[in-house]
Amino acid sequence: MNRIAVLTDSTSDLPKALRERYEIDYVPMNYVIDEREYPASLDWQSHSPKEFYDLMRSGVRVRTTQVPRGVFEEKFAEYLSQGTDVVYIACSSALSGSVNLARVIASELEARYPDARVYCVDTLISSLGQGELALRAAKLRTAGKSAREIAAQIEAERLTVNQYGTVASLDYLRRAGRVKASSAFFGNLFGVKPIILSDRIGQNFAFKKVKGALAARREIARLVTQEVIEPGTQTLYISHADNLAAAEQLRDDILAGVQFADVCISDIAPIVGASVGPGTVIAFFAGKEVTIEGAE
Amino acid sequence: MTERIDGLRLHELLRGGYARLHANAQTVDRLNVFPVPDGDTGTNMSLTLRGAVTVETQSAACELLRAASRGALLSARGNSGVILSQFLRGLSEGVQEKKTLSTADFALALQSATDCAYRAVIHPTEGTMLTVMRETSEALCTAPTDFEGFFALLLAQMRASLARTPELLPVLKEAGVIDSGGAGLVYIFEGMDAALRGEAADLAEALPDAPAPAAASGEEEFGYCTEFILQLSLRENFTLSTLIEHLETLGNSIVAVQDGELVKVHVHTFKPEDALAYAHRFGEFVNIKIENMSVQHNEILQRTRKKYALVAVASGSGMHACFREMGVDAIVEGGQTQNPSAQDFLRAFASLNAEHIVVLPNNSNILLTARQAAQMYQGAQMHVIPTRTPAEGYSALTMMEPGSETIDAFIQSLTQCLSGVTTGYVTTATRDCVLGGVQARRGQYIALAAEQMLAASDDRLSAAMALFAQLPNMPDNQVLTVFFGEGVPQEEAEALQDALSRRWPLLEIGLVDGTQPVYDYIFCIE
Repeated sequence: MNRIAVLTDSTSDLPKALRERYEIDYVPMNYVIDEREYPASLDWQSHSPKEFYDLMRSGVRVRTTQVPRGVFEEKFAEYLSQGTDVVYIACSSALSGSVNLARVIASELEARYPDARVYCVDTLISSLGQGELALRAAKLRTAGKSAREIAAQIEAERLTVNQYGTVASLDYLRRAGRVKASSAFFGNLFGVKPIILSDRIGQNFAFKKVKGALAARREIARLVTQEVIEPGTQTLYISHADNLAAAEQLRDDILAGVQFADVCISDIAPIVGASVGPGTVIAFFAGKEVTIEGAE
Repeated sequence: MTERIDGLRLHELLRGGYARLHANAQTVDRLNVFPVPDGDTGTNMSLTLRGAVTVETQSAACELLRAASRGALLSARGNSGVILSQFLRGLSEGVQEKKTLSTADFALALQSATDCAYRAVIHPTEGTMLTVMRETSEALCTAPTDFEGFFALLLAQMRASLARTPELLPVLKEAGVIDSGGAGLVYIFEGMDAALRGEAADLAEALPDAPAPAAASGEEEFGYCTEFILQLSLRENFTLSTLIEHLETLGNSIVAVQDGELVKVHVHTFKPEDALAYAHRFGEFVNIKIENMSVQHNEILQRTRKKYALVAVASGSGMHACFREMGVDAIVEGGQTQNPSAQDFLRAFASLNAEHIVVLPNNSNILLTARQAAQMYQGAQMHVIPTRTPAEGYSALTMMEPGSETIDAFIQSLTQCLSGVTTGYVTTATRDCVLGGVQARRGQYIALAAEQMLAASDDRLSAAMALFAQLPNMPDNQVLTVFFGEGVPQEEAEALQDALSRRWPLLEIGLVDGTQPVYDYIFCIE
């Protein structure tokens, strides 16, 4: 059996320690500020989280690009030329075109390197939800599964990763065109917090609203309690956009109702950050399969 | 000696009652627990009774009362007016088909009237006009057979009952007043008594003075409803007040809110291009929406039936604009000092074409009128959400889910956060008073919240800050919306926002130019 590389991208929000421990590689997307392009490093090589989100707070517009063709070509070729299979745990296709581009490039390169394969998994989620699926893939590799088996299993399980988050303002998501929300959200949103889930086709969906940040955290905690399966054997992942205090409060609110084996809190890296905006907090966990689909 | 009265005579009596109440309406208005221009019980009862007496006269007592009752139900405004209209309805039901009335018939009808008035109120309070009605009608079981003697006894009972109201209702006692609705009732019966004894009522003076009913809102709208969100690129060069000043030269119904680098603007103007060109100097548009309101209006007349329509009571152009922007379909003009009549509501209902009409009365003294109008309206399924303040109405709208599949879910979305809303006010004291240990002089700014006077000050900002310092559980609140009233400069509201942000850093604070009368500030605290 070929060796296997587990590859993800800039929207997985996986911190370095976890990537190193589980030997997970990633391909960077880019973000653009004032017409200057920066690789979206998961290790914050161009801006610190505080610098990045303060720029957004000051009104600076951050644009993002999908993984560039050349980056995919180079990375895939690097593994395939060594006879290593690649399992690419990609950002939701509803949020980024990267996975579709990867499939095209993979088929081109597989013709050149017939001894190895690239399996692209559309996770239908992003941030630590995608990151969690990448970790699962790495654990399956350790358990001796083949690349094909890993990809098939992650694809089968992807909708059991639940996401419940809240943003300080829907404007960022709306501007980025990365949210489905009912017309109720397009009116005056002052003080009103949308609760955003990742729906069954991988869109962010503002499916309900509550009043105030405290109410938002409590509602997320309630939803986690309602949807979680076997919390005692899994890690609760919380990602945040320069809002550690809220992330920790959310953790405490959730743990008051449900006991998880472990908790991992991490920064939302620039790509997801650019579309959700500063202040966002999101919880990810394994639970009941997501069946909801957002509509306008 | 009058032993029987017919419709013509009863009409004279009612007109006499109206004339006397009208002449004393301001006296009744002043019987307020809070030193703010609110309720206006005398004006409300007078306008309600006006609707009862300005009907075609009838020779049969039963016919006259039916017409009077119908007139009062339509013109009812304010809780006291609704109770009075229900009293007249009960009187009408109580006389059944009698063409002339004896004192015994009248006494029986008074019992029916009292019962009907009690039913109008969900939680009747003793020490109010209801008590005065009940005690009076109970005391008339054995009454003289002549109306002169009957009215003498009735008035003696009624005045005694009125004098006892402060003993039953502590807030009256503390404020040193008698119940205003009860006082209005006494004036009505005094006037009826005077008419009975041949003192001609001076209606010539009473009728022209009464204000005409408020015009249906929305007729004055013109031009283009222009809304945009601006992302500021030159934040340091931008002040919201300068933008508003410029917009005021271009149109009306202006609402402008700034949240960090985002500015949200709503204006009605004939020149949307000028508004956009001006705003564009300060940044880039996130989105723009322009609608021709006359087209909108025509569409309203022809449009298909909506599932849900919303009617809200509001006062002040900024409040109107704010509520409309949040999805209210028809606004009934009114508020604290000018309570709308049932007819005003009916007019608003009739302008809509919807399966369900949901009403936000936004004032505790307008709730009963809204309910009464809703009961009278046949064109839709009616739902009154008992919002007691504009702040509650606003909060309800922020949580609205217009796409709700069922009316129950729709109402649930509107009511889900209501229990968490505290409303605060800053206004000017209309008289010297001491309430809840707080002393206020006439003309001072006073801060009110949760039915209590919390602070008084010569300085408006200090009164506002004191309100928040006095509010229990203030640290638990997350969101504060400040509606600043007509005459309050935007800069002052911004200064208040800054001071509150420093004191409660986690509180999200938004400003709305409500341009509401009476209240310098209305706070929606959640």
